[in-house]
Formats: sequence, structure tokens, C-alpha cells
Amino acid sequence: MNKTKLTSLIVTGIFLIAFGIIFFANSSNKEKTSSEEPSSNVEIIDGVQYIKIIAKGGYSPNSTIAKANIPTELIMETNGSYDCSIALVINDIKYRKMLPTTGETKIDLGLNKSGKIIRGLCSMGMYNFSINFK
Amino acid sequence: MNKHIFHISGTHCASCKLMIEDSLNENPFEQKAVVDIKNEILSIETTSTENKLTVMKSINEKISINGYLLSTEKIIEKEDSSLWIAIPIGIVVLFLFFLLQKSGLLNIGIGGAVTPVSSFIIGLIASVSSCLAIVGGLVLSLSAKAVQDGVSTKKTFFLFHIGRLLSFALLGGIFGLIGSALGINFVLAGILGIIASLVMLFLGLNLVGFFSKNNITLPPGIFKIFKNIENNSLAPFLVGLGTFFLPCGFTQAMQVSALSSGSFLSGLLIMFAFALGTLPVLLLLSFGSVSFSKSKHAPVFFKSAGIVVIGLALFALLSGLAGLGIINPLFNI
Repeated sequence: MNKTKLTSLIVTGIFLIAFGIIFFANSSNKEKTSSEEPSSNVEIIDGVQYIKIIAKGGYSPNSTIAKANIPTELIMETNGSYDCSIALVINDIKYRKMLPTTGETKIDLGLNKSGKIIRGLCSMGMYNFSINFK
Repeated sequence: MNKHIFHISGTHCASCKLMIEDSLNENPFEQKAVVDIKNEILSIETTSTENKLTVMKSINEKISINGYLLSTEKIIEKEDSSLWIAIPIGIVVLFLFFLLQKSGLLNIGIGGAVTPVSSFIIGLIASVSSCLAIVGGLVLSLSAKAVQDGVSTKKTFFLFHIGRLLSFALLGGIFGLIGSALGINFVLAGILGIIASLVMLFLGLNLVGFFSKNNITLPPGIFKIFKNIENNSLAPFLVGLGTFFLPCGFTQAMQVSALSSGSFLSGLLIMFAFALGTLPVLLLLSFGSVSFSKSKHAPVFFKSAGIVVIGLALFALLSGLAGLGIINPLFNI
């Protein structure tokens, strides 16, 4: 194996590992440490569960834990967002709509059984979020 | 008639056969040239009485501008190390690109109503965002394809960018006029995006030299059709037109603004200013890649570009499939 090949393989290897750490490890860690308790962006008012997610350059928080078997509304908050995250797709409830660039959008998620995961993503698919019902 | 047989190098595409034969058969002498791509041999029958070396010289003058070369002896290609240099370069470029996306630097909020000025700025941001993955990848492969085939790159890009600007302005205007009677179809955009990413994947593999190495060649009949499409001056123009429909959050946001703008002129201005905003980076990519391709680093450049295009194509493909709900999202940038 000559020098060029060796350097090439080493550099490629290093960056591939860095890729993995930055873009993949992040999400799997979160799922492991997730507790049973509802996340801080979840609020229950008058028997209705409201989940607030900010859509701007991605979705935050990325993963949410919510209570199962209670009427749930998702509130998508946008504030001067122009990127893909406003083109919201939630395949589980056949939702495909553009959010306003600034404002709040309520989306009815209905009743969900324990263990159900609802995933939302932007139309191009590079941003996503998940809601875990427990 | 005198018959000569030469070895030919530089024939990396199946359409090269047609290009060389076409250019040699239009000649003051009555002659018939036949290229055997598989064995890299050119045989020519000519009424010219010059000796073999002179014939070779005059043919080389004609075809060497396109990167082909005749020789009497078979040239044994020395091991090509360009791919080994290109792979890390491509990976590093991809890494920096995705790092920029993740950094959050591009999430600049612009409040208030969309005006042509703000849509121009949004265009500037969009042109370095992940939307670049598809449109930029297309530009890169267009330029490399044009250079490889010896087609005028200036003309290709002129048509592509004019097509892009025109379609954004016109369709923006129509969106403004018709208003909310027209919706944006996510599914259609998603399917188009997947088709675009498959085309990119093919072009990227072609740039890296995957097809020439494995000698995958299409039958000449099919290639003639491809060649006709490629030589069709409208092809880059149509690709430019089509970029309006490619999935890109920024474009879709602007389309919604144009929809709600309520008039032809304001819709036109919003979309045109947006396309204009994306132009500097795309132009840089277009002509930057052309100037690189003329230097001695061309093989490394094209192969690196191929790696980047393949990476972006895979990213766009997997994201697109996730967007349509076919697979679970794999990454979150």
C-alpha cells in the first residue's frame, strides 16, 4: 500500500467517525436517558395536554415525552422561520402543511396509547422530532 | 483506400465513440472512421495518401481538444491515484457542509412581511443551506458533464440560470395571481426530489469513474438518444425551470409568500428576488468548477466533486424517502 492510499484511508476514516459522532450518536443517547416523566414543554390545562415545539432551523425540543390516553394538541411555534422546518409533515396523522413563518399553529393529535411514537419532520426530511407517549 | 489502425486513449464515455466518429467523418478526404471503445482502437480508411504518422498527427489535432489521443503503441495507464486524493477531499467538503448546517449559523430570523429585499436575503441564506444539496449538486454535475463532453459550459450555465430565474419570476407571478386556489403539493415535490437525487447519484458515480472502470456501457442506440437530449440546447434550460419545484424549505416558504401576496407583480418580485439571492453562490459553483476543470488538477477535482455529489444525493434520497413517510428519519441536522 503506497503513501497516498494510506493517508487517504486515514483521513477518510477520521472524518467518517467524526460524522458518526456528530450526527448519529447524539440522537441515540437522548433516547437512552429519557425518563418516564413528561418533558418540560408539555402542559396539561383543563384535561387537555398541550405540547409546544419550536420550528426554526430544526425542531426543538427534539424528542418529547408526553402522557398517554389524554386528548393532546400539538402547538407548533414559529418566529421568523423560513427554512424547511415550516414545511411540516406528520405522516402518522396525514398532516402536510406549511406553517406560517411567524405564529402558532394548533394540531390535534387526539388520544394516543402508551408506547405510541408520533414523528414529525420537514418536507425535505432533514429535520425531525418525535413525541413519545408513556 | 488506405487503412490505419491506432490505439486511442481518453475515451471514458460511450458517447465518445459517436463524437469521434462524427468529427472525423466530416473531412476533406473521403474517409471512414470506426472506434472500438472496448479495445480502445480507432480504425480509419482514408483516401489520403499520407503516411501513418502524418495521418495520426492530423487526427490528433482534431480530437485532442476533447481529451482524446491517438498513439501507435498502446498506452498503459499508470495507476490512477486521483481517486485516493479525491475521496478525503470529498468527505471533508461534505463534513464542513453538514457542520455549517448544524452550527445554527443559518437560522437567522427575518421578521415581518416578506418584501423583495428580505426574500433576496433569504435567497442568499438558502444558497448555502441544505437546499444547496440538491440544486448545487445538480449544478456541479451539469458543469462536469458539460466539460467532459466538450460542450460549451458558458452556454449550458447561461441557459440553466436563465431558466431558473425565469421560472421563479413567472411562476411566482402566477402564484400571486391565482392565490390560494393553488396549493403546494408536498408529495409531488418529494417525488421530484427523489428523482433528482437518483439522477445526481448516477452523475456522481459517473464523475468518480465508476462506470468507465466497470465498462458498463449502454447500447449505442440508447446513447444516441441520450446524446441528442444532451445536445439539445434546451436541456439545461428545462433543468433550470424544474428547480422551482424541487423540495427546499426556503423555496416553499417563498412560494407561500408569493401565494398570499395577492398580485402578479408582487408574487413575481418576491420569487425573482429570491432566485437572484441564490444566484451568487450558484454562479460561483458553476464557473469555479469550470476553471478548476481546465487546470491540471481536473481529474482530482471531478472525482472530489463526484464524491460530494454522491454524498449529497444519498442525503437527499434518504431525507426524501423519510419525508414521504417511506422510511424512518435517519438523521437530524
